[in-house]
Amino acid sequence: MVKRLLVAIVATIVLAALGACGGAETGAGEGQGAVAARGTIGFSAMTLKNPFFKIIADTMTAEAERHGFDVVVTDAERDVNRQSQQVDNFLASGVAAIVLNPVDRIAIGPAVRRANEAGVPVFTSDLQAVAEGVEIAGHVGTDNYQGGLLAGEAMIEALGEAGGEVLVLHFKQANSCVLRVDGFRHAIGEYNRDRTEGRIEIVAELEGGGLRDEGYRAMADGIQAYPDLAGVFAINDPSALGARTALEQAGRADQVRIVGFDGELAGKQAIRDGKIYADPIQYPDRMGVTTVRNIVSYLDGEDFERVHLIPTALYRQADAEQDPALD
Amino acid sequence: MPEGVSESTAGRWRRRLLDLLGRNLSVVVLVLLCLISSAATWREQNPITSRSGAAVARQVLVACQAPCSVLVVARDTEADRVFVQAIEEGLDAAGARIAGRVFGQPRDVRLELERIAGTGGSFDAIATHRIASEWGPVRTAGKPVFAPGSYYWPTFLTARNLLNVVNQNADIAIIALGMTLVILTAGIDLSVGSLLALAGVIAAVTAQEWFGGAAASPAGLLAAMLLGVAAAALGGLLSGTMVTAFRVPPFVATLGLMMLARGLALILAVGHQRRLVGGGAEGTPEAVRVDAAVFAWLGNGAVLGVPNPILLMLVLFVAAHLLMTRTMFGRYVYAVGGNVEAARLSGVPVTAVLLAVYCLCGAFAGLAGIVDASRFEGGRPNAGELYELQVIAAVVVGGASLAGGRGRIAGTLIGAMIIAVIQNGLNIAGVASYEQKVVFGALILAAVLLDRLQPKIASRRARMTRASTSTPVQ
Repeated sequence: MVKRLLVAIVATIVLAALGACGGAETGAGEGQGAVAARGTIGFSAMTLKNPFFKIIADTMTAEAERHGFDVVVTDAERDVNRQSQQVDNFLASGVAAIVLNPVDRIAIGPAVRRANEAGVPVFTSDLQAVAEGVEIAGHVGTDNYQGGLLAGEAMIEALGEAGGEVLVLHFKQANSCVLRVDGFRHAIGEYNRDRTEGRIEIVAELEGGGLRDEGYRAMADGIQAYPDLAGVFAINDPSALGARTALEQAGRADQVRIVGFDGELAGKQAIRDGKIYADPIQYPDRMGVTTVRNIVSYLDGEDFERVHLIPTALYRQADAEQDPALD
Repeated sequence: MPEGVSESTAGRWRRRLLDLLGRNLSVVVLVLLCLISSAATWREQNPITSRSGAAVARQVLVACQAPCSVLVVARDTEADRVFVQAIEEGLDAAGARIAGRVFGQPRDVRLELERIAGTGGSFDAIATHRIASEWGPVRTAGKPVFAPGSYYWPTFLTARNLLNVVNQNADIAIIALGMTLVILTAGIDLSVGSLLALAGVIAAVTAQEWFGGAAASPAGLLAAMLLGVAAAALGGLLSGTMVTAFRVPPFVATLGLMMLARGLALILAVGHQRRLVGGGAEGTPEAVRVDAAVFAWLGNGAVLGVPNPILLMLVLFVAAHLLMTRTMFGRYVYAVGGNVEAARLSGVPVTAVLLAVYCLCGAFAGLAGIVDASRFEGGRPNAGELYELQVIAAVVVGGASLAGGRGRIAGTLIGAMIIAVIQNGLNIAGVASYEQKVVFGALILAAVLLDRLQPKIASRRARMTRASTSTPVQ
């Protein structure tokens, strides 16, 4: 009896798996039949666990459909090895163009070079690749340094004349975040320059992983190490929200102001509720749309801006209260 | 049920088939998966070869009256050049004129069209391949476009993709060989992913700082690589010592080493980056770049069209297979895994065997780390995260028992390939990444469950056989 049951379970799982496989396949087939007159765009996202990249993927898919392309979205899960494999798979299946959020700006080099050799154009979005000898057809991203400056301004505004100790929740692996923190440090440095009182001191950079859980853990440790903290700059919204949770648990949420980055929905809601002071907001939807338009321009032989940086804007509680996207 | 000669023959055949299936279940699963992947990737293929080039030339000549003037459009790749050469040879032989030639991007086609129009020239047709025939300037040029016909074939079953599948998972397979030894002794090694990263970072940092960076000689690079492997083997020896001398459960000992090695890899990489920028600012945990071009040969080079990681994997596979089937050491490993006490009593040097097994597992992880570093032209401190789970899955899917004593090297290779094919098939079939995780997990469970049923099916068959010989029919 037990054996029969086991056989039945195994059979069910296999059938379910095959069904899922087949279902997805026909789904892709329908998509191709309906619109993909001009080919497929392969997109390897940094991590689809972060809504930011999901928005890029979704807007890319919608915009591409309008132009007669379909998009295959894959998740690199912050692993450059996985991302390289996805590039190779795109090349094997003959895509018209590849879009990457490079997980590692240098180590992605060999994979991009293989795409170059195969004659498939590579576009980057959000993050840039800086490996030697690679050809990137176009880049659309945020002006992260400018965003970092705005984050610094927001922090200065949030702390007021008192100043105080500030912690940075970093994600150093991503060059965009390095630029953000550079901008932030520059703004704080300018503020401190001719000031002896009310200075803002950046006491540490902790690795927040750009994720909610890692940000939470890093912040929980940060609270122990630096009991006098007055502010936190988190390089994106997930880690800012993780930091908020840690501060609430420690009963310190009222004393420590948070500046985030991104302006994703959960982040905007937190700004409305006063949980995050402000965000320099990015426009992943514009990134997705512009990237696809660049691909179309490329394939149509038209000229386009090869490196397109979208400036951020500060988003505070007053903006959130008037934001129709939040109800 | 009537007894008869034909009945018993059918029964025998059925039994033989079941036997065969039972013994090679993982092979059957692998073949099935390949078939499914092929079916799911049945796609239009657009050949860019010298044969398809010649075919395009013939098409043009049939449709276009002589003297015919042709614009040839292709991308700037090796395959495209071969393709264009065949077109031009075909056209030349028939006396057609080449009005222009584009090797490049859609933009270059536009510029060439503008140039031709600017000089008052004209042409009658465009010869190109399917990909470039979709380019805007080609479509809107207002001339007939000729491209080779396409055919249908599973993308999965193309040489490029099959080499991809194996190449991408060569590192997993290499580590899985070492892991098989550990699992055969009823142990487990969670540190392999971290040891991989540590070996890669050590090789990269020493290549850059000790052996001359961009000017490093091949011997220096080899030394750097060996240092990386040695460090990983040393790590394995450490967990082996914990397991044998201090009776620490392998799970815990290697869990500790996993964190320790990852931390060391990060510290070394960040330290190197800091020295690069001249101290002061803290470094970033990016890949430690190796400037010497030869370093990339192991990971990105190929011999006779077969990527080097695959060749390394095959060599190590044969070595491990021989080690486990032809040597005393191999028999010792099985003995220790089957029953430690019995092995000890019958004179097997249990401690030495366990030390060697963990050391080898570390060394295999180190080798995979060298392959990884070479592949990415630098040591990545974040490399190999969660590899331990993929590797253990490969070994278990390959039929090894986590209880020790049962499992084969060949099974492990097949297990690694099963996982590779699942991943690749799902990717190429365009299954979204969230769904992939579900399918992947379900297929692993299914494969392992099927494998676990094997002994039960076998014993049931044996009982049924016995039953049918002793009593007539139910």
